Amino acid sequence: MTVLLKAQNLSFAYQAQKTILHDINLSVKKGEVLYVLGPNGVGKTTLLHILAGLLAPDTGQVTLADQPLGTYPAQKRAQMIGLIPQLHMPAFAYSVKEMVMMGRAPHLGWFSSPSEADESVVEEALEQVGLYELQDRPYTSLSGGERQLVMIARGLVQKCHILLMDEPTAHLDLSNQHRILEIVNQLSHQGLSFIISSHSPNDALAYADNVLLLSGGWVTEYGPPKQTLTEPIISSVYGIQTEVVFDWLAGIAVPKAVVPRRPLKLVPESLIEPGSRLNQVYEQSLVSPQIILITGLSGAGKTTWCQRLAQSAKKMGVTVAGILSPGIYENGRKLAIGARDLYGGEERQLAQLREKEDATLATPRWVFDPTALEWANQKLGSAPKTDLLIIDELGPLEFLRGVGLTEGLSRVDSGSYRVACVVVRSSLLPKALQRWSNAVVVDGA
Amino acid sequence: MAPSVPLTERKIRLSKPAIVWILLLLPFALAMVAMTIGRYQISVLDTVKILLSPISPAYAGDIPEVAKRLVLQIRAPRILAALLIGASFGATGTAFQAIFKNPLVDSNILGVTTGAGFGAAIAILLRGTHWQIQISAFLFGLLAVSLSFFGSRLYKATPLLVLTLMGILVGSLFSSLTALLKYMADPLDSLPAITFWLLGSLTNITWRSLPVLAAIALTGLVFFWFLGWRFNIISLGDEEAKSLGINPVHMKMMIIFAATLMTAAAVSISGVIGWVGLVIPHAGRMMVGPDHKRLIPATIGLGAAFLLLIDLIARALLPGEIPLGVLTGLVGVPLLMGLLRKNRTGW
Repeated sequence: MTVLLKAQNLSFAYQAQKTILHDINLSVKKGEVLYVLGPNGVGKTTLLHILAGLLAPDTGQVTLADQPLGTYPAQKRAQMIGLIPQLHMPAFAYSVKEMVMMGRAPHLGWFSSPSEADESVVEEALEQVGLYELQDRPYTSLSGGERQLVMIARGLVQKCHILLMDEPTAHLDLSNQHRILEIVNQLSHQGLSFIISSHSPNDALAYADNVLLLSGGWVTEYGPPKQTLTEPIISSVYGIQTEVVFDWLAGIAVPKAVVPRRPLKLVPESLIEPGSRLNQVYEQSLVSPQIILITGLSGAGKTTWCQRLAQSAKKMGVTVAGILSPGIYENGRKLAIGARDLYGGEERQLAQLREKEDATLATPRWVFDPTALEWANQKLGSAPKTDLLIIDELGPLEFLRGVGLTEGLSRVDSGSYRVACVVVRSSLLPKALQRWSNAVVVDGA
Repeated sequence: MAPSVPLTERKIRLSKPAIVWILLLLPFALAMVAMTIGRYQISVLDTVKILLSPISPAYAGDIPEVAKRLVLQIRAPRILAALLIGASFGATGTAFQAIFKNPLVDSNILGVTTGAGFGAAIAILLRGTHWQIQISAFLFGLLAVSLSFFGSRLYKATPLLVLTLMGILVGSLFSSLTALLKYMADPLDSLPAITFWLLGSLTNITWRSLPVLAAIALTGLVFFWFLGWRFNIISLGDEEAKSLGINPVHMKMMIIFAATLMTAAAVSISGVIGWVGLVIPHAGRMMVGPDHKRLIPATIGLGAAFLLLIDLIARALLPGEIPLGVLTGLVGVPLLMGLLRKNRTGW
């Protein structure tokens, strides 16, 4: 089949030095449905606008039917590519028919108005999407699903070869999502190509021929959904633990849905108690090092969880290294943070509460003792390989600024342990999962 | 047997294109009526005869000279001016509402009227002639829009919002300057002249004022009429217009340019007549819907008819002339409220 639209090495920045898209390559064939997936703000809409010719890429180029997109006159381009923006409300209450009629603009000369032939094209398109009866209703009075259908009809009367849709199912209920996507499916079988930006990996699993996963402005994966929408890839792109649900009815395992997985609630002792869920991780660690992320809000009990694990592990003869940072309380108030070297057993004070919070500093509430930090880093670095590595905790200093308990990060990266338990607050979980996408997340409460 | 409905109770629903044609013919019918009305009543037949007399004087041989002079030299240019100015306000208001995607803006959104007001005020203060006042008003109207337009270019962000903001800023700058001029003006002589100018009037219209106004207004109206349907696409915003193969930047610049010339030409002759450009588009939408293919001709007809009606009231129905700026609101508000009551579909 012929390639209709092709993008090579696209990059784009709205402001200098702040590149939104890096080195994007893709191609769309006749009748193909390409899904562009990625987290919020990753540049999906920008990519669609570049592919539609509304924005020019900084580098690279888009070719449409073997001709550079930039060389197309605007009207000619609009005869080939249609763009359906995210659901919106126009300022004026145009009727459904008037709204769809605007799609005839690329086929009409300057100063000419739609003719009766155009009217019949519009009526045909409305028939096709099942809105013929609503043609005189104001567009603004329609439901979100109906408005999306109107926009599809507008794309149809444009008689274009590729339709780009920006989050067509956002804000729609289940039945309307289904209605829209089934129509997209039918139209693609009739030869219309689609590029759809979406937040739903499941829609992509069901309807896409190909998926382009964007993360941080780069293409992380590009290919058929069954190969691209796997647990580790989704986890690293969205920074969330996921599980792929398979459809066993087909006889072979067909991935059907990607669902977020909630953190497991497990007692620490179960790691070394044979037969439990967490123990499977321990078993697997014989093959390769495993990472467990202990998460939860501040004060949820993450440190206590680790403490219990270290205690029972030592009792069972499992070797433990790492740093634990228990709070030092007075009258129920956390006044200081300690640091205990789990291998040697030494303890020091790591940080003290500031007298006055200072939001301008990297650590607004705590004054860290640099020598204690250095000591902790040195202890972490010098401990030998153990069965268990416990690091409490890695926070914004380490993940975002590259300071603090840096030895902890590199120690986890190095894999010199069987199981590493790392305490990470909930807000940093996406960051941690992007770094260690195979990690198991455990609720530390 | 089906109950027969008496003919009179059947609701006659006119199609939208039919309403557009009625609205377009309305000003001409009204103009004929307006020719006959005034302190000096002239019958319709005589009026027709007088209007035909420039072709062949024989048509109006038996009609008194004063009636001829009244119709041809006073009423005709004034009525024509009212039609052109009203049509311009109606159409430019519609155009501005479309390109600003906002049904609450009018022709003055970029400061053209306020600028023209200042131009007139300064010319009056400097004891300019009637002509000089008109030219000064026209030029300052253009200056105000240029300031708004090029001022907004200084700032590289969402241009529509910045353009609106610049329009408001330039508008308030010129109203402050006008207020300053009024403060400085002679309270017995130039101050009332400025004040009356700012309230709008068609009293001083002669044939001499018409050619420039007619040339600009008619060209602009024809341009808008042909553009008609494309205003729909422009009103969806730049991105959608672009994706439908239209260059919104060029088109908006052309529209703003045309609308500014039209408004400045109108205001420089009539003085400040507010309100028409804001409300006529709404009345039009209630009658023929938001599709600009019909809305543009509808608002041309409505604007012309409305201003003519206002001017007729101003000169004929009341003793002494009332400024148009006063009457537009007094007559227009009840009219619009009536429309609102009848038509609940909203916009």
